[in-house]
Amino acid sequence: MAKKVFEVKDLRFRYAKSNVEAVRGISFDVYEGEIFGLLGPSGAGKSTTQKIMTKLFRDYQGEILYYGKDLKNYSNAYYEDLGVGFELPVHFSKLTGYENMHFFSQLYQQRADIDDLLNQVGLLEDKDRMVGEYSKGMKMRLNFVRALLNHPKVLFLDEVTNGLDPKNARIIKDLIQAFKEAGGTVFLTTHLMNDVEELCDRVAFIRQGEIVEIATPRSLKLKYGNREVRVEYFNNGKTETDVYPLDDIGTNKDFLSLIKDKEIETIHSGETSLDEIFIKVTGEKVDA
Amino acid sequence: MHNFGVLLRGEMQRLVRYKILQISFVVSLLWLGILFLIGSDHVADFVPLFIFIDVSMMTVLLVGANLFFEKQENTLKTLLITPSDFVALLASKFVSSLYLGLQSTVVIALFAVLMFDVSIAVLWLIVFVLLITCVHTAIGFTFVVFVKDFNGLLAFTIFYMFLFAFPSIFFMLDLLPSSAEYWLMFSPTHAGMLMINYTFGEDVAWWLLLLGALYLVVLSAVLIRFVISPKYVETAVRE
Ligand SMILES: Nc1ncnc2c1ncn2[C@@H]1O[C@H](COP(=O)(O)OP(=O)(O)OP(=O)(O)O)[C@@H](O)[C@H]1O
Ligand SMILES: [Mg+2]
Repeated sequence: MAKKVFEVKDLRFRYAKSNVEAVRGISFDVYEGEIFGLLGPSGAGKSTTQKIMTKLFRDYQGEILYYGKDLKNYSNAYYEDLGVGFELPVHFSKLTGYENMHFFSQLYQQRADIDDLLNQVGLLEDKDRMVGEYSKGMKMRLNFVRALLNHPKVLFLDEVTNGLDPKNARIIKDLIQAFKEAGGTVFLTTHLMNDVEELCDRVAFIRQGEIVEIATPRSLKLKYGNREVRVEYFNNGKTETDVYPLDDIGTNKDFLSLIKDKEIETIHSGETSLDEIFIKVTGEKVDA
Repeated sequence: MHNFGVLLRGEMQRLVRYKILQISFVVSLLWLGILFLIGSDHVADFVPLFIFIDVSMMTVLLVGANLFFEKQENTLKTLLITPSDFVALLASKFVSSLYLGLQSTVVIALFAVLMFDVSIAVLWLIVFVLLITCVHTAIGFTFVVFVKDFNGLLAFTIFYMFLFAFPSIFFMLDLLPSSAEYWLMFSPTHAGMLMINYTFGEDVAWWLLLLGALYLVVLSAVLIRFVISPKYVETAVRE
């Protein structure tokens, strides 16, 4: 079994001016080398959890261990290990992309090659333009570069693909994957099922500050998905639909005779999409 | 003080890029313009006043504006997830603000000396200006952690001027009875004004200067320790 990077135990947090807890006793582990997703609707407590784990909020209840040691016992040297991608904006808009990266890079002991990183996200040519002139996709990619400046061990990413066009989202997702393949650990929050399906090894559903489910995307599908086969076929001049259980489908006489005798239009195995699971588990609609 | 050097260089670079340094410089030039119009008869009264307004009110406004820029761009928050010491973060911002105060003072004082042959206790002027700028930087920070937007900052600053700066100015122009001075000593503004007047040759009792200096030091320390430090992270992270 891989090492535990984080062990979060009964974590609770209340904002100063609020009378309800934003995080209500959540527990989970994050293993070395995995992409762990925290998924939930708006206001569920994803960003709050991330801010606690990145030590921005320090007066929480419960316990967080980082490599077996209480997070509260780490100095700011903890941040040498971390790469954090917040929601936008996060840069000095009146400095160039390169100047931004150069400034942040100097704050760390370990320093990645800035041009190399900019090149990987396709920003090398724009490195001398002001960040204020960047498009949203460019800012997001720069945000990702900033997170990688110090060769981090752990990446925290808050909604890093939110609002990106498919091409930019692809670039970012490939980089997250590459980071993992190089041995890095990723903690990401999102309300996009697509991200989870493509990236996450494990996902925790959070709803109103509580975790309602932790699983692999695949086992979620198996658990919540309807295992069934839906057949559309042509009969007496119109299209009809029949549904059969997926179990023992090979010996199901009705099904077998149907596909033998009728003109079949479509056959789908009825795995529920993660979008539908999201609604089932959290009781809320997923954002597009 | 881990990363102080890098942070300070960043602050200075941004003072230029966000044109705060330039704005501060133009304001100093405006003071010079006014001094020029006033002419040599009253220069001795107005040079200290202008220096004072610059290192107090302008400091509050520039520090506040700067912090709001950074808050909007979330860079205050981004800096908090780097290995930098918190003390170094605050110190870099204070030092860049002190630099601005000093720059204005030098511009105005130099002009007064060259044009009108005013005599100044230079060393004391520098020390006192640093103190006054420091306390007003702390006041600017304090306003920012308590208000939600730039308008709030303006409102606080104007309110502060009415409460503290104007009475001192009236007093200086002999519009208030001399007994008012005891009350005015509670105003960081008045303490600052006494100090600057002293460096321009006015008679100020040494114990009053000492008291004023102590007051500004203590007030800065209290604001930094009990208001700014505890609320800074919350302010930086608040969306
Ligand atoms: N500064 C704050 N003060 C008080 N309550 C807050 C503050 N920030 C967030 N909250 C509340 O805490 C809860 C969790 O917020 P959080 O930002 O963690 O949600 P989220 O899951 O990240 O949502 P989103 O998908 O919209 O980013 C929400 O109910 C929110 O209203
Ligand atoms: Mg969020």
